Amino acid sequence: MKVSLAIPTGVLLEGSLSLLERAGVARVTAAQLGRRLFLERDGLRLVLVRPADVAAYVDHGAADLGVVGKDQLWENRGDHYELVDLGFGACRLILAVPEASPIAGPETWPPLLRVATKYPIATAEFFRRTGHAVDIVRLHGAVELAPQVGLADAIADLTATGATLRENHLRVVAEVGHSTARLIANQASLKTRSGEVQALVTKLRSAVS
Amino acid sequence: MRPIPPLPPTSNAAPGTVPGFRDLLPDEAESLRAGQEAILAEMRRWGYRFVVTPTLESVEALALGLGPEQQRRLFKFADADGSLVALVGEKTIPVARLAAGQLRSAPLPLRLCYAASVVSNDGGRFANRRETHQVGAELVGAAGPAADAEVIALAVHCLDAAGLKRYQVDVGHSEFFHGLLAGLKLPAEVETGVRAALAARDFVALERLLETTPLRSAERELLLRFPALRGGREILDAAGRLVANRRSERALADLARVEELLREHGLGGQVNLDLGAIRDFDYYTGVIFEGYGADLGRPLAVGGRYDRLLERFGRPAPATGFVVHLDLVAEAIARAGGRPALPQLDAAVAWSAAGVPVALKLGSSLRLFGMRAVVDTESRSLAAARRWRGQVGAQSLVHCGGPGPVTWASGSRTRRLPPEQVVAQIVGALR
Repeated sequence: MKVSLAIPTGVLLEGSLSLLERAGVARVTAAQLGRRLFLERDGLRLVLVRPADVAAYVDHGAADLGVVGKDQLWENRGDHYELVDLGFGACRLILAVPEASPIAGPETWPPLLRVATKYPIATAEFFRRTGHAVDIVRLHGAVELAPQVGLADAIADLTATGATLRENHLRVVAEVGHSTARLIANQASLKTRSGEVQALVTKLRSAVS
Repeated sequence: MRPIPPLPPTSNAAPGTVPGFRDLLPDEAESLRAGQEAILAEMRRWGYRFVVTPTLESVEALALGLGPEQQRRLFKFADADGSLVALVGEKTIPVARLAAGQLRSAPLPLRLCYAASVVSNDGGRFANRRETHQVGAELVGAAGPAADAEVIALAVHCLDAAGLKRYQVDVGHSEFFHGLLAGLKLPAEVETGVRAALAARDFVALERLLETTPLRSAERELLLRFPALRGGREILDAAGRLVANRRSERALADLARVEELLREHGLGGQVNLDLGAIRDFDYYTGVIFEGYGADLGRPLAVGGRYDRLLERFGRPAPATGFVVHLDLVAEAIARAGGRPALPQLDAAVAWSAAGVPVALKLGSSLRLFGMRAVVDTESRSLAAARRWRGQVGAQSLVHCGGPGPVTWASGSRTRRLPPEQVVAQIVGALR
């Protein structure tokens, strides 16, 4: 049976395909994938899924391995092996406030800081570590709007370049987390098909720059 | 005039089950039960006695064996006197309580087995299955490789008895890990981090933590290569050349002996050694193992040695054991093509007019021979009885219209015979 690898659509797709090529595992371009959801190539089955679904595919054993952003793993603590930091897709989860806000360092935070985010678990964990009380508002998009309309004091959101923050006149006050793409593995696949799976892991690991 | 109050809203939906809990319908329930009975019968053949412990235990007792996260997952509530009780989430701790309590004067080793459904108040990935069905065995009061090999061999035989065709068992040792970790002499907070990272199977975090240690020892590399430390006997020699601490060396020697004994048990092909096996390292104290099916993402059976549990109940004794997850075994069997579909009933016995006495007698005779027979509860014509047979799914139909010969339909053939001959035919046909 072929080894199956779940790769995410979206920002990590190019990096994932380029990793496969560098590792000499498979040469597939995004154009070749087109709108297909899976592709068999060179003894490998590629399964293309949404970023938030990679861990579910791997945890349930529908894929032996998966490429997934650490930011997704913060929110979906699953049942898999996290094997390799693949290095690409770097971004930061930052706490930001409107430029005009008086909030800066932790000493300026109100007793109960209200934070809007798509990442409630990682955000809650950060405030648990810092020991500061927080009221988290979970949103599904356009988080940067929340402080402008008074829904929250701050936002916790991902940023790679900081461009979106500048456009929305937001200022970073703290780093909540740092994410890169990770290679994860199903726990049973590592045991029942260890030869093929470990061979692929070794190839991918060696291609990490 | 007072207005007539509106009727309360009515719901047409019948009450369902609590999320994460479900009914098992006959096909699935019978398959699960068959697996359970086959496994218990195998355990009995190995001399394990069946025990039943309560569905509820005091949180105080359970807390002696459970970590904080496992305690959080208990369904807890207050007893009438205000003390905190919980529905059990696993049975090893209650069995340990029993072995150290009511069975404290029973000579060791004790071989005990159980079957139970257990619950977990879990909100994680598998929250849709909060109740699971388990069969387990515990060997209390026996230390050493012979006892370890016995429970592993028993686990393999149990998976086989349950009807699994393809499976494997990976055997590891928790002391191998403890030895490596102690050998690294990490600062306390780094060591805590290492344990947490391994428990979460997060090797990226593990690598980061170990980067902070200047030491680049072979043992550090072993820890980083944990998921790949798997194979046959040769893995022990390879690891033996790299470790430099007594605990890990003893663990490797133990494993070598267990592997030899498993061969003597007649098991070779199904058993692998896995030095990177990760189970709850705060709980297990020696040889650990996991059984996997062919295409299922999770282990079907898990177990290992836990020598420090019984002393917490006041009777220090070594112990080892395992649990088989029946739901997962049934799922693995179903995926592999399932059991042969058995006819649910051997005979449907219908009657009309004065046929009742013949029908009842015929049903009794068939059951006496171990056949499964259902006797109708209302009078039916032969034509109506043929339709009824289809509904109940019986191999053959017997219709009793009065004293004397009865009508027997099996396959496409229909004959009229005396009742005794029909019984003989049905019983004989299945021999």
